[in-house]
Amino acid sequence: MAKRTEVMEDMYDLSSVLDFDALSEVRPGSSILISGPAMTGKQRLAYDILADGARDGDGTVVVTTGDDATDVVAEFRERVPELEESQLGVVDCRREGGSDNSSVDGAYVHQVSSPGDLTGIGIGITKTLEGLHNSGRDRGRLALVSLSTMLTYTDKKTVFKFCHVLSSRLDAADYIGVFTIDSGAHDQQTIQVIKQAFDGLIEVRDADGGGRESRVLGFSGEPTDWKRI
Amino acid sequence: MSESDPPVVLIVEDEPDVAETYKLWLEGDYEVRMAQNGDEGLELLDDTVDVVLLDRMMPGLSGDEVLSRIRERELGCRVAMVTAVEPDFDILEMGFDAYLSKPIRSEQLHDTVSNLLERSEYDSLLQDYYALVEKRATLEATKSNAELADSEEYADLKEQVAEMREGLSDTLGGIEDDDDFIATLRGLSNGEEN
Repeated sequence: MAKRTEVMEDMYDLSSVLDFDALSEVRPGSSILISGPAMTGKQRLAYDILADGARDGDGTVVVTTGDDATDVVAEFRERVPELEESQLGVVDCRREGGSDNSSVDGAYVHQVSSPGDLTGIGIGITKTLEGLHNSGRDRGRLALVSLSTMLTYTDKKTVFKFCHVLSSRLDAADYIGVFTIDSGAHDQQTIQVIKQAFDGLIEVRDADGGGRESRVLGFSGEPTDWKRI
Repeated sequence: MSESDPPVVLIVEDEPDVAETYKLWLEGDYEVRMAQNGDEGLELLDDTVDVVLLDRMMPGLSGDEVLSRIRERELGCRVAMVTAVEPDFDILEMGFDAYLSKPIRSEQLHDTVSNLLERSEYDSLLQDYYALVEKRATLEATKSNAELADSEEYADLKEQVAEMREGLSDTLGGIEDDDDFIATLRGLSNGEEN
């Protein structure tokens, strides 16, 4: 919940990933929802935001309900060749039947039994943040992909509260968070509820005549215009 | 718990001297109940109890067993484990809300109890906050932008949501602490969402 007003804080610049002025100075502690229909590149956008920060040395945390941790680590290693040891942590929520920690190719991996195990996810995030902090990283970016999967395991009230509490925790750590949701998979009211847990919203959709477009809401009053990405 | 009633602390401890000491320290600020073992503790436990201080090593039912019975009964109380050895991080994974290692000082005990009460306060604020958020979402999902712009109810609601959000970030220092973070998440999964 970005609410601090100090001007000295180092802002996060996301405009090199998505070219909007509203994203050029994102305050530490902000949480952003990336919303759009299926197959519009939401996860790719979230990973782009993390990879861009990782290149500048930001800590990187991925909470995944869909991809295997090994694949996430491999993808970030490939996209960010300069990725250092203990710069990346993955909380993999697909480990059916148990929790476990391990190290995969220099990245910290925490396994959680299910996307509905909020305590387990919280412990994974805590341990990951602790590891990053201990290796001297005081800023970083967390992606949670995706809230839609979590919503199939638990109700919107619980997911909303989870997002609120996690955003508060990220605020205390001076991190930013990006969370994805499939806008076509839930009713309008659910989307309106979940949106309110975030400081800002990036909407993506298919553009007329192919390709995709995006707009940003919530950071500076009025929504931006749709822009091709 | 009404405004005037002090919060209730239940001490479950098999050593009478130790239990008496905790009681002395706490009784000025809280209503204190005492149980000498796990079975008695479970008997004295009802929905008026806010915080349980639970000794881990007791004859009869162990602290761990008492904890799981408490969680099964879905009581809203917070449970601090009192232990002779310093536990590791796994204490949170076991489902306790806090731990205290013996010997305990008066100040520590007070800090722990008040932190646990603040967590309960946070949970209930978060619940109230959600109720407002849901109301707002319903309006947003059912009314047009023009209707919303004209609606006094909607304007009030937006203001209340913002105020409540501010209030939440002032409680528990806005979840700065890892233990607060995990315990709050556990509260969400413990079926308190009604």
